[in-house]
Amino acid sequence: MGQFCIGSIKRELPSRLNYQYYDALTLSIHIKPLQQLSNLCKAPLFPAEAIRLSNGLTLIHQYLPATPVVAVDVWVRAGANAEPQDWHGMAHFLEHMIFKGSEAVRPGEFDWIIETSGGGTNAATSHDYAHFFITTAAEYIPQTLPYFADILLHAAIPDEEFGREMDVVIEEIHGCHDDPDWLGFQALCETIYGQSPYGRSILGTADQVRQRSPHQMRCFHRTHYQPENMTVVMVGGMEREAAIALVSEAFCHFAVRSECPPVMADPKPQLEEITRTELRLPRLEQARLMLAWTGPGVDLMDVGIGLDMLSVILAGGRSSRLVRDLREEQQQVWDIGCEFSLQKTASLITINAWLEAEALPKVEAVLQDHLTRLQREPIAPTELSRVQRLLCNDYAFSTETPAQLAGLYGYYNTIAQAELAVTYPTRVQQMTPEILQQIAQDYLKPDCYAVTVMRSL
Amino acid sequence: MSAQPVSLTRLNNGITLITVDHQAADLIAARCFFRAGGRWEKPHQSGISHLLAAVMTKGTHSLTAAEIANQIESMGASLGTDAAADYFTLGLKTVTADFPVILNLAAEILRSPTFPPAEVELEQQLTLQNIRAQSERPFSVAFQQLRQAMYGDHPYGFSILGTPATLDRLTAADLKDYHQTYFRPDNLVISLSGRIERDRAIAQVAAAFGDWPIPDRPLPIAPQLPALPPPSSHRLHQATQQAIVMVGYPAPAVHNLPDYIALKVINTYLGSGLSSRLFVELREKRGLAYDVSAFYPTRFSASQFVAYIGTAPENAQVGFDGLVAEVERLCQVPLTETELQASKNKLLGQYALGKQTNADLAQLFGWYTIIDLGIEFDHQFQAAVHQVTPDQIQAAAQRYFQTPYITIVGPEPARETLVG
Repeated sequence: MGQFCIGSIKRELPSRLNYQYYDALTLSIHIKPLQQLSNLCKAPLFPAEAIRLSNGLTLIHQYLPATPVVAVDVWVRAGANAEPQDWHGMAHFLEHMIFKGSEAVRPGEFDWIIETSGGGTNAATSHDYAHFFITTAAEYIPQTLPYFADILLHAAIPDEEFGREMDVVIEEIHGCHDDPDWLGFQALCETIYGQSPYGRSILGTADQVRQRSPHQMRCFHRTHYQPENMTVVMVGGMEREAAIALVSEAFCHFAVRSECPPVMADPKPQLEEITRTELRLPRLEQARLMLAWTGPGVDLMDVGIGLDMLSVILAGGRSSRLVRDLREEQQQVWDIGCEFSLQKTASLITINAWLEAEALPKVEAVLQDHLTRLQREPIAPTELSRVQRLLCNDYAFSTETPAQLAGLYGYYNTIAQAELAVTYPTRVQQMTPEILQQIAQDYLKPDCYAVTVMRSL
Repeated sequence: MSAQPVSLTRLNNGITLITVDHQAADLIAARCFFRAGGRWEKPHQSGISHLLAAVMTKGTHSLTAAEIANQIESMGASLGTDAAADYFTLGLKTVTADFPVILNLAAEILRSPTFPPAEVELEQQLTLQNIRAQSERPFSVAFQQLRQAMYGDHPYGFSILGTPATLDRLTAADLKDYHQTYFRPDNLVISLSGRIERDRAIAQVAAAFGDWPIPDRPLPIAPQLPALPPPSSHRLHQATQQAIVMVGYPAPAVHNLPDYIALKVINTYLGSGLSSRLFVELREKRGLAYDVSAFYPTRFSASQFVAYIGTAPENAQVGFDGLVAEVERLCQVPLTETELQASKNKLLGQYALGKQTNADLAQLFGWYTIIDLGIEFDHQFQAAVHQVTPDQIQAAAQRYFQTPYITIVGPEPARETLVG
C-alpha cells in the first residue's frame, strides 16, 4: 500500500524454505541488464576482484572492512535449462538433495552447523542457474566453509533420502498449484516460450519428479557441479588472502566427471501474432490479465536495459503510465505491474493486471494503446529522467549488504561476467528517448504477444 | 549490524528522534512511527488505520495525489505508509542529498492530509478487493480463521485490512477524526539511519516538524482489550491440493520479558530455519511437507504462538498430531544444554543479521520505542536470551502450551477422523 518502490522480480524459486507469513525470505538480487564488454573502459571501477583458481573455479571476492558478516554465494550453471530431455525437475530436485549431505556430512548436519553458529543458509533454482548461499559472522567462515563445499562438490544423494525428499518436492508443487498467480504465470510462459526450456516449470510436474532416480541425479550432479561451471562469491569482512586460501582449500577436490545425455535444443521463441490462453479456476476472486513478450538474451544488453526502463515507464510507481491511467484514473484494474527479467538467452517482459472479468477486453485494448504510443512518441525528457533516477537509486538501495552484493556478482558471472554488474547505473544514464522508442518498436509489439486470461469457474 | 552510535533526542514539541549514524552508504532511511494502528481500533472501525495509510499519500493541503507521487518518484526516492497491529508508520529512503526535501514532503503528508473523498472511495474499493484476494490463498484463510478463534473481538483478531462490513461504513470524516486523535508530535517517534550525524538530523527534523504544536487535548488512552475466547476447533473445506493445518496457543506480550524470551527461544528451536525441530522431524525425516514452521510475533498486547504445516490432505491428521506432539513435548522434556545453546546462537545470529541495512536499523529502534521498550531493548533482549535456562523454558512451555486453537483448511477428508 502507498508504496512507491520499484521491485525487480526474478523468475526464481526460493526453494528450500519459503516462509509464507512471518519472515518473507526474499533474495533481493538486483537483476539488471548488462552492457557491452567494449564499453567497460568507461564503466565504474569494479569494486570486487574476479580470481581464476588453478582448477578453473572462479572466485569473486570483495572485502568490506566495516562489516563483521561474510556472505558466500555459490552459483552453478545447472538450472532447469541444463536438464536433458525427459529429465525435467532435476535441477531443482538436486538443489534440495545437496542439503542431504555427502559421505562426510550427514543429512541436516550442514544446516545445523551453519544455523547454530548464528548464520543462515538457503538456495534457489532458476532456468539459467542454481545457487546456494550462506551468511554468517566472519569468524565462523573457516569452520563452516569446508562443510558447505563438501555437500556441493560431493553430494551423496542417498537412495532413502531421495525418496523422502521426493515427497517434499511434490508437496512444494501442490502448494504452487494452490496459487493462482503461479498457475497463470506458468501458462503464460508456456505460451510465449513454446518449445524453449524457458517455457517449462522449474519444478517439473509431480509425475516428472516421480520419474527421477538417484542414479540419474548423481550423473547430473557430476556433469555440472564442476569448476568451470561454478562461481564462488565471497563478500564481507574477510580479507583477500584469507578468502583465497579458504576457498582454494575447501573447493579443491571435485567429483569424478560424468556425462549426461544431451540437453534439448533451445529454439528461439517465435510468436507471429497474439496468442491466447484462458484458465478457469475455482475460488478465483479477481480475474487476471497477463501479457508477455520475449526480449533478447545477454548478448544484446542495451536492449535489456531499454526494456527494463520501459517496464518502469509503464508501471513502476504511481506516476507511471499504466498505474496512473488504469488504477488511479479509469479505475479499471485493482492493481497492475510490469516486470522485466533478464535471462541468458531469452529475457522476459510481462504486464500483469488484477481486475474484474467484465473489464478484460477494455483493459487489453487500453494496454495496446499504451504500447502503440510507446512506439510512436519518444519518451519526454522529464519521464526519462524520472526513470533514470529511480533505477539508479534502486540499484544503490539494493546493494547495501554483503549478501546482496554477492548475489549480484554471482548472477552476472553465471550468465556473463561479474564486472558488468556495476556498469548498470552508467548505462541507464546513457539511454536516449530515440533508443527507447526503437526498442519498443522492435520488442513490445501491440499486435504480437502472449496473453493469459484467468477467470473464475 | 550496528556498531554505529545510536542517539535519542526529545524535541521541544515532544517528538522523539532516534539517529543511527551509519556512514557506509550514501543514503538515509527513515521511519516515522505513531502510537496508533490495529491495537487502537474499535471493532466497528476495524481497518481504519490501513485505510488511512492508503489515503494519506493521496492529497495534502497543497499537493494532489499525482503531485505527491511525482515528487517522490522524480527524485528516485521511496516512500510508503503502513499500518500494523501495534503502530502506524511512514517509511522513506533517499540518497543523502535528497533527504531534506523528501523529509519535508513526509511532514506535509503526516501533518496535513486532506483525504479527498474520491481517493477515499477508490482506496476503499481497492482494500475490499484486497480482502477478497486474501481468500484465494489457503494459508491466509487458515490464519484468518485461527486469529478470529483466538482473539474474538480483540483487535488482534481482525486483519489489518478490516472487514467488508467495517470498511464499507468508514468515511472521510472518520479518517479526519482518527488523524486528529493520533497524529500529533508527542505521539511520534522518528527513527533515522544512514549518512547523517545527530546534529544534522535534529536540525532537519526540527525544520520539517518543529513548528507542529502539541494540541490541547490529552493524549489518547489505550483501549481496554477484551478477554480471549476459550480454545476451539475449526475446519473449512476447500478444493485445494494441500491442507493447511494450524495450531495456536495464547502467548505472552513482549512486556512480560522472562516469558517472552522463553517463547522466542522455543519458537527458534521449533520453527526457525532448516535445522529447526519441526522442519527436521516433519519434513526431513518424514517428508510430510514442504512448508512446516512456527511463528511468535512480538506484540505489545497478548500474542500468539502458531505452528503450521501444509501437507497432502490424507496426511492432515498425521501433520496435526506431529505439530501438537512437538509443541507439547516441551512441557515434559527440557531442552538439553546443547539444544538450548544452539537455539540461542541461532536466535542471536539471526537477530544480528536482521540489522544489516539502514532500513532495518531505523525500523528496529523506532519500533522498540513506539511500543514502550526503548532503544535499550536491543541490548536487554540479547542479554536476556543469553541468560535463559532449560527450567525457565520448560516452565514457560507448561504455562502456555495447554489447549490449542485449531484450524484446518483443505479438501474434505475421506474419513471423518480429524481432531475432535
